[in-house]
Amino acid sequence: MTWKFEQVAGPYKGRTGGLAWDGAAMLFSAVAEERILRFDPAAGKAEVFRKYTGRTNGIAVAADGSVFGAQEGGRRVIQFLKDGSTAPTSELLDGKHHNQPADVIVDSRRRVWFADPWNGTPPYGPPAYPFLDHASVLRLDPAGNRAWTMKRVTHDTRGPRAILLAADEKTLYVADGDAERGDVCQLFAYPVKPDGGVGPGKALLVFAPAERGIEGVCLDSGGNIVACAGWKKGGVGPSIYVISASGTILETHPAPADLPMRCAFGDAGLDSLYLTAGDGGLYRARNTGRRGLKR
Amino acid sequence: MHGSLEHLKIEIDMLAPGGERITGRELPLDIIARDVIFGEGPVWDARNRQLFYTDIIGDTIWRWKPGGKPEAILRPSVKANGLALDLENRLLVAGWGGRTVFRFEKDGTRKTLADRWEGKKLSSPNDIVVKSDGSIWFTDPPGGLLNVGMVGDDLQRYLDNQPVFRIAPDGRTLTIVTDDFVYPNGLCFSPDEKLLYVNCSRERLIRVYDVKPDGSLGKARLFHQYTGPERGVPDGIKCDVEGNVYCTAPGGIYVHDASGKVLARIKTPGHHPTNIAWGDDDWRSLYITMIGSVVRTRLNVAGVPSR
Repeated sequence: MTWKFEQVAGPYKGRTGGLAWDGAAMLFSAVAEERILRFDPAAGKAEVFRKYTGRTNGIAVAADGSVFGAQEGGRRVIQFLKDGSTAPTSELLDGKHHNQPADVIVDSRRRVWFADPWNGTPPYGPPAYPFLDHASVLRLDPAGNRAWTMKRVTHDTRGPRAILLAADEKTLYVADGDAERGDVCQLFAYPVKPDGGVGPGKALLVFAPAERGIEGVCLDSGGNIVACAGWKKGGVGPSIYVISASGTILETHPAPADLPMRCAFGDAGLDSLYLTAGDGGLYRARNTGRRGLKR
Repeated sequence: MHGSLEHLKIEIDMLAPGGERITGRELPLDIIARDVIFGEGPVWDARNRQLFYTDIIGDTIWRWKPGGKPEAILRPSVKANGLALDLENRLLVAGWGGRTVFRFEKDGTRKTLADRWEGKKLSSPNDIVVKSDGSIWFTDPPGGLLNVGMVGDDLQRYLDNQPVFRIAPDGRTLTIVTDDFVYPNGLCFSPDEKLLYVNCSRERLIRVYDVKPDGSLGKARLFHQYTGPERGVPDGIKCDVEGNVYCTAPGGIYVHDASGKVLARIKTPGHHPTNIAWGDDDWRSLYITMIGSVVRTRLNVAGVPSR
């Protein structure tokens, strides 16, 4: 089945990034514009959801309707509350400031997982803190009264770009490697242990050197991973893959723009796939023949 | 991000005619405080012969008396930043992470002087100065909503501009005197208070304004634009009694004459100055807050007294 993408919003300045369906509309980050926008499919247009996001990239809608954001510019995960304010979480891993989070997800236990790579754009403020000597998946666990404790989840990643939990939350998928830094890009699956830690990761996909790996992931209702990856600079080019839970590529679709950034299912029935990209657009393919997982 | 204090020294470069008279060539160095993560907000309290300063990331307002050890007077401090003294010698605080300007009362309680503009929360009051008529002037950039390790409980920015505000001598009435800036930071008056200097960390420049009797400002003039390759941005700014202007900027503390010309640069190699304050009985000591320390040196010209 061919996916026909149309541009439904943008282009915005710089790359568009994180995507999250809020139940009625698609939230998406215009990272460099420091805004989150909300595309309402009924109205067919995007409006500002939040300004001054501090270069928030990845976003995730929590059960209470608040939105967590991976704030690349501020080196923290923040929570956009429904009253319009923005709450901090914890900024510290074992007493040290972590890197520049790129992607964030919330699980059914309100734990907030995030990918914490290094980033080419410096963070805000004076350079008072070095970066961590590792780029890992980290997690914030609620500790009551708006407090959080931060834990390190992965110990073998080089630069996690995007993360995803399987429907049963027993597997953590991590798109690892930043091709712009020269990493070899891989898609890992880690078994999640009852204590919240992970077992040894298994590489489901290994991209060829100089191939831009996966930047965005989402899950369909059958447990398959939908991933966007690639660039025009080399390899197979900007693409969207449907990947089985065991790592078999089931489908490949050309992406509508270079440097696809994130993908997410949306619209009534969750059968449209939305995509952000390096050109600052928001794209949508309707009637994909697949449905997003309703969590 | 800062080198060892044991190797800290003060150097002078960029000397121009007239510079050496102010700075000399060999500058002394006293280390006032070492246990500072991010020093800021120095102000000398002449009546009580003591220095106040803040540690933004350490979340503390400190007091230091010569010969003694620094003593914390407020912790947590809402990530306090700039400090000043009002006409009654009460300590004023640019409350940065807490998004307010507040005052320490004589009984030790704290009173909020400004927290909103047209119903919206301020961004993060950064630096603060008092004019001899009792008006309080402060900058309100958004860094306290963003900077790593420096934020409070609400990180949302609500104001679309980045004003310099003035609180009237009544202690309540707030007005915007300018919103020319993309990141206003330090501010100070000329010795005769006819000029207001405001620097911008993002555009790396200083603007100067005529101050009108009613507290409003004339049109901005560019005083100096920093173009050096070194790290550091305009941050703290103060004037001496001759009208020379001192500004922490790329590579050190620049000394300008009143026309903007650079007379000298005071450097602390490997260390990052954030702000400066005149102090001691003759107002010829220059206290320097830095990332990692607070130090003091001596100059040949007295600064404008902080009160």
